[in-house]
Amino acid sequence: MRRWLTGLVLLCLLPLGTWAQDRKPLVVEAALDRQVVAPLLDAFKRAHPDIALQYHDRSTLEVDRRAREVRPAPDVVISSAMPWQLARVNEGLAQPVDSAEARDWPAWAKWRNEVFGFTFEPIVTVYRLDLARHMIPPTTHADLHTILTTQQELLRGRVTTYSPGRSGVGYTLFQQDARYSPRFWDLVAAMGAAEVNLEDNTQAMLDGLTEGRYWVGYNLLGSYAMHWAQDHPKLIVQVPQDYALVMMRMAFVHRDAPHPTAAKAFVSFLLGIEGQRILAGSTPLFSVLPGVIGPYTAQRLRDQVGERLYPIPINASLLAFVDPLRRKAFMTRWNREIRILEP
Amino acid sequence: MIIVDGTLKRRLAVWLLATVGVLGAFLLIEAYTSAHRAADRAYDSQLEAAGLTIAEAIQWQDGRPIVEMPAAAFQILATNQQERVFYAILDATGREVTGNLDGTVTPEWQRAAQTGPMWMTVQHYGSPIRLHGRELTSAGWESLDPVQIWVGHTLSGRDALASDLFVRTLTRFLTMVLLAGLLMLLAIRTALGPVRRLRQLLRQRDADDVSPLYARVPGELYDMADALNALLARQREGRDALLRFTADASHQLKTPLAGLQSTSELALQSERPDDWRQALETVHRSAARTSRLAGQLLSLARLRHAEEARLATVDLSVVLRDTVMEWAERDIAQHHDLGLGSLPETPVRIQGESWSLREMIGNLIDNALRYTPPDSEITLSLERQADTVLLVIMDNGPGVSDDLLGRLHQPFERGGRQDTQGSGLGLAIVDSIARRHDAVLSVHSAPGHGLWIGIRFPLLPEET
Repeated sequence: MRRWLTGLVLLCLLPLGTWAQDRKPLVVEAALDRQVVAPLLDAFKRAHPDIALQYHDRSTLEVDRRAREVRPAPDVVISSAMPWQLARVNEGLAQPVDSAEARDWPAWAKWRNEVFGFTFEPIVTVYRLDLARHMIPPTTHADLHTILTTQQELLRGRVTTYSPGRSGVGYTLFQQDARYSPRFWDLVAAMGAAEVNLEDNTQAMLDGLTEGRYWVGYNLLGSYAMHWAQDHPKLIVQVPQDYALVMMRMAFVHRDAPHPTAAKAFVSFLLGIEGQRILAGSTPLFSVLPGVIGPYTAQRLRDQVGERLYPIPINASLLAFVDPLRRKAFMTRWNREIRILEP
Repeated sequence: MIIVDGTLKRRLAVWLLATVGVLGAFLLIEAYTSAHRAADRAYDSQLEAAGLTIAEAIQWQDGRPIVEMPAAAFQILATNQQERVFYAILDATGREVTGNLDGTVTPEWQRAAQTGPMWMTVQHYGSPIRLHGRELTSAGWESLDPVQIWVGHTLSGRDALASDLFVRTLTRFLTMVLLAGLLMLLAIRTALGPVRRLRQLLRQRDADDVSPLYARVPGELYDMADALNALLARQREGRDALLRFTADASHQLKTPLAGLQSTSELALQSERPDDWRQALETVHRSAARTSRLAGQLLSLARLRHAEEARLATVDLSVVLRDTVMEWAERDIAQHHDLGLGSLPETPVRIQGESWSLREMIGNLIDNALRYTPPDSEITLSLERQADTVLLVIMDNGPGVSDDLLGRLHQPFERGGRQDTQGSGLGLAIVDSIARRHDAVLSVHSAPGHGLWIGIRFPLLPEET
């Protein structure tokens, strides 16, 4: 409704002729729900009425394929599949952004001034209130492992998580989990024993939880889950208390961008105070910048859950996750561990 | 006329700049290459570390190498400069087991890496990268095949480090040049201090002060100061000579004038016409002598201070013959045997001024007539030698003593005689004229054997 109104206002403000002819096109391929970022896109359109933004919301795999293969190339590529984004930048598919916003962006959230992590999305566990009636809800990874082993019968078939084979985000999260603790594989084995259901994306898990098919979901994107839980009071979002991974959406301007100026303006808007304020106030994507105030900021998250937030680092080590041999080795182990406790 | 030909500062600055330019060019080329070498050494060790980290992770399974790529290896490869990273693991057949180099590694490179670790800078999709390859023989249960690990990264860190090192060297070098320039200016100021002191010393002198300089000067300036002192000494001598000449001339003129005064006073006191006549005759003789003296003084002054002689080609034997003939007819020569000796048969051509040559010969004859007793023989002759001609006048008079010989040509020198009517200027005039003709005057005498005076003129080359 609001977008509608905005569009109407824009139409009234701009003479139709110039609107059609002079506006520079800008193609953004993003693995980021359009509904979630709509306030940000609207603000960008208001700030840059001369740019005709075409925003395409696709899966991570499709975004990656388009960045690699489709020509003319997209101007801006946004994806939550962090290792793949970094691999594309390492291949030289990005071009540096040299705006003031890009320069001032925290060093830990960017690489080579070419790719920028512009959101701060905690990875959470979501459970239904039904679960809380039967047991103490899990607040840590160890708790989850405990209830999976002690309440195996009750939870059988009611556990869900990402499929590492079909979801890039899921694969990345599990790789990172495995880096932090070898007990992660015990958790995988326990989930396997509980006949875990593997889903492609967070929304599918949230749907299952809402419908009651699942009682507990592991490694969901906190941004979507928190947004969803506001309208679904039966779902409880739990940021793990031992450690919580943080995923960042990464954006880069394509090397072969047909409209590099508009593309850089868009990325600079994402990183600017204005864009981050909207991110913090009107979307659940969490602002990275420490100075921004709103319900969804990295700072506020830290205040709530303490310092146990572990952002997946944006550096060359991400490349290890996309190494085919390592991926194969990981998947081999995953498949072995998930079946290891089968009767 | 003093012409300013640049400044010492500029000369030294030009030399300094030239030296700095040549040395600096070499130095900076060396600095540039060594900065790149140093940067390469620093970053090559990162490549090596990354390669070793990957090597550590290689295991064999089912006859194939299995690697769980260590994340740390990528961070080492990327360095803190966030380089783009490239890697490949090749099996024994050269197939890429894993990696992102997409067949960049050629079979030649692989063969080269078999003998030892390889380092090279190559083009990869349009941008230069540094590659490092090493072969690894690791044991597995089924296989012993070698594996090659290739790692590489872009060059921005190396370039940044190298240019940083180079800029530092450049800054140091430029600072040194600047300091050297400033020191040079200071050194010039200090070095030119003595010159300034000398200048001040000269400026402070009175116009007629020709006393020697007393100054402390460095060795390099000694020659100049010494030359200045020599110049001052010559000026002093010249001035002294002038003062002496003026005093002598006044004195010489004063004596006959005083005689004239006393003779005329005596005559005025007398009433007798005979005394008047005798006094008038004395006055006449004395006036004639004084007039001749004044004439000689004038010609000496003219000779000494006249402008350049206007020289022409002159036959010396003709001039000599004419002058001797003229003098032989004069009254004063009637009591002497004045004659010509041998003369060359061909013309004796010299560069000369005929009036002054006649004056010179006349003075020589006049001197000889006055300083020898009556009936003495006076002979003039010319003697041609290789490229000179010697004009000789000799007499058989009393001659002069050795200690007087050297002074004879000085004005008012009468050869120790007070009995003649000569002025003492004759030989001085002869000497001056001889100098005008680049001729050399020499005087020989032995008491009782008369005086021998020779004047050696340079001859003009014979016309062909």
